[in-house]
Amino acid sequence: MHHPSSRQPIGLGRVLAGLGLALVALLGGAFAQGKPTTITFAQSVAVTDLGPAYGAFLNYPAGYEVGYVIYDRLVTFNADLKIVPQLATSWETSSDGLTWTFHLRHGVKFQDGTPFDAQAVKFNIERMMDSKRNTTNRPLWDPIAGAKVVDPYTVQIITNKPYAMLLNTLAHGSGAMVSPTAIEKNGDKSMTTKPVGTGPYMLDSFIPGQEVVLKAFPDYWGGKPPVDRLVFKYVPDASTRVAALRAGQVDVIDDIPPQLAVTLKGDPNISLIAKPGLRPMGFAINTNHAPLDNLDVRQALNYAVPRDAIAKNIFLGYAQAADSPLAFNTFGHQSIGGFSYDPAKAKQLLAAAGWTPGPNKMLQKDGKTLTLSMYTPEGLFPGDVDVAQVVAKSLEDVGIKVNITKIDKGGYWDYLRQPLDQLKWDIAMFGFNPSNGAGTYQMDSLFVSNPNPQQPPVAWNITRFDNSQVDSLVNQAKVTIDPQKRADLLGQAEKIVWNDAPYIWLQVNESISATRSNVAGVEVWPTLFTIVRDAHLK
Amino acid sequence: MLTYTLWRIARIIPVALVVVTLIFLLFRMVPGDPARAIAGSQALESTVEQIRHQLGLDRPIYVQYWNYLKGLPRGNLGFSGIYQGNAAPVIIQHLPPTLALLGSSILLTILIGVPAGIVSALNRGNAVDYVISLLVVGMLSIPNFWLGMMLISLFAVSYHLLPSFGFSSALALVLPTLAVSARLVAVVARMTRSSMLEVLQRDYVRTARAKGLNHSVIVYKHALRNALIPTITTVGLQAGYLLGGSIVIEQLFAWPGIGQLMINSVGLRDFNMVQGITVIFSIGFLVINLLVDLVYAIVNPRIEYR
Repeated sequence: MHHPSSRQPIGLGRVLAGLGLALVALLGGAFAQGKPTTITFAQSVAVTDLGPAYGAFLNYPAGYEVGYVIYDRLVTFNADLKIVPQLATSWETSSDGLTWTFHLRHGVKFQDGTPFDAQAVKFNIERMMDSKRNTTNRPLWDPIAGAKVVDPYTVQIITNKPYAMLLNTLAHGSGAMVSPTAIEKNGDKSMTTKPVGTGPYMLDSFIPGQEVVLKAFPDYWGGKPPVDRLVFKYVPDASTRVAALRAGQVDVIDDIPPQLAVTLKGDPNISLIAKPGLRPMGFAINTNHAPLDNLDVRQALNYAVPRDAIAKNIFLGYAQAADSPLAFNTFGHQSIGGFSYDPAKAKQLLAAAGWTPGPNKMLQKDGKTLTLSMYTPEGLFPGDVDVAQVVAKSLEDVGIKVNITKIDKGGYWDYLRQPLDQLKWDIAMFGFNPSNGAGTYQMDSLFVSNPNPQQPPVAWNITRFDNSQVDSLVNQAKVTIDPQKRADLLGQAEKIVWNDAPYIWLQVNESISATRSNVAGVEVWPTLFTIVRDAHLK
Repeated sequence: MLTYTLWRIARIIPVALVVVTLIFLLFRMVPGDPARAIAGSQALESTVEQIRHQLGLDRPIYVQYWNYLKGLPRGNLGFSGIYQGNAAPVIIQHLPPTLALLGSSILLTILIGVPAGIVSALNRGNAVDYVISLLVVGMLSIPNFWLGMMLISLFAVSYHLLPSFGFSSALALVLPTLAVSARLVAVVARMTRSSMLEVLQRDYVRTARAKGLNHSVIVYKHALRNALIPTITTVGLQAGYLLGGSIVIEQLFAWPGIGQLMINSVGLRDFNMVQGITVIFSIGFLVINLLVDLVYAIVNPRIEYR
């Protein structure tokens, strides 16, 4: 945490004081010059697993954050989620879009001394293709058909159909290149506790669920890493993380709630980093359940909710009102907008659908009050219960009765994914975070129609959204390699989805991390990751 | 005494078995799917199925139960999907911080609580008694998480005297120990005071006084030994609860102990881990109970076991 002593102008008084200090230092045996430099990162989630396969870096996002330091990938994201070279220096796609050729960096070594080459890439790609070894992240890896060694520094990856998101998959945490010799020596699952990659820091010690200590890898291809040790510690309580940062006990912290972030704003010793995430929050609407099958009603719900006020007041400005089914930093995002807060318009649309105020001002039709069952998790999404209460209140203001059910975060996903006839919610809070940064992945998971709407959704189309035009646009985007064309296709699909309102669209939150002001190089990625790979002391 | 001890140890086994069975069944009734927790929220249904198969969760419940029981004597607490391995070593790694906090808190509680209770009882009704009682009520009313936050903000953030979190050194024990023991000290002081007062009014104490025995001999040899029995029971019970980790304090101080592991594992539906912690917790609780009974005999030789 401390620099080796810095140089200052020398005066007589200083010399004497210095001699005194030197004596103390000698007596204390403290060799300040040799003291290793350390950066400590207090994480909100415990790291329990360091391997890219067999569950992949549990828990999210903490394990990935360590994985991005120990391992390299062929390509990686930069802080703006653009794809940049890492172990591959360049690449090209065949004209049919099925073969990708990667040219590898020379002189790269794994942390166990094994040279990194095309054979190692083939080994890793085939490992991740194997669904027995790599059980998670299947949608990312299933489209890949194989890998071929062309020469020691050239490798080809082959897909069955053109796979537009291939680079996103390779840049994803699960694209980590692990040492084949280490796997051979220590066993197939050894990366879980004994990771060996080509990144700037290698494992020193690991107590699962408590802390990870990394030390600089002297033979790192990018040159000598800037600090001697990187320490990741699990600190679950946000106020404790903030206290530890203010006390100087740690150098980097993540997941700061907006209410605590504002208290750090004036502190000269601390720098805040906030970055809009990739997860647009909203309330999924059960579009099969009357009266929510009516477009006017769904649009009315969207006009009735003050999404700007939610972003500004609940999240103190660390959120923005969504303007598309994709978040602002997701590839393919197109700003659509509309649905600005307008309760009068909401009432008008509801009246058009036959819902008129009854004696107690609540809306009625054929003697039945308009009542919605709302599900919200507790502590799963940022500010979830607060947001749910504001949304319920705004819906009641236009005359809709709302019954809120709060669900423990561990069981929440199960309630979302029931077969259609068992769904107990009309609206349920949900947000999808495309961890590979690709809008195609998100549109495909949420809005391509389910093969059988009665069954639990295959991915996350829990609203049972069903629009043949969206299906064909997204399926086309999946096989369109040209980024501009792909973004156009996604943009058209986004517009249809947004206006059809299968969600009450809400906000996109910012991820907030902070560092001591003497630490530089920490990045916060829109994928919720706080990356300390290039962290150094100023 | 020896027979009694052995008998008590033997009795632990059926009780532990009942606890294991109950926990095993209860955890299969709560909503939430451990396979989905491992697969991640965005996984496909087929992926979840595959993990469920790997964990054996698709097998009949009695098969799962029998396999679990078979593994216990060999220290196999079951596969934790979150830690990708046997739950036992993970639990063992989380034990030292909890035991350290338990030990230091109980020590502090006895060192302060018992003397405070005695002094308070001996000064019944005068200023000293009032001051101690006031402190006791204060310490009982302050929530421990609030006290913890105040301690962090004062000693770690403002004055940089002590570490704010973590199990890194002996110094790091100071703040969580204070936060845990404040309430325990108050409970023990109150318990000691009232049982001391009761004993001091007994006939045998009056007799001892009438015999002209030295005041301190009466208090420490005759009265205290009898008065300590309820106090020991209280301390033993509290120690048992602390074995499960003071969840709030462990969260607040990022104390990597059993309580923190427990709360994480519940959130992630890591059934085997939670079961494992519960098994170790219940056995530990039974052992502490046994120790408490044995301490009774040491403190008060009139208590005998056959």
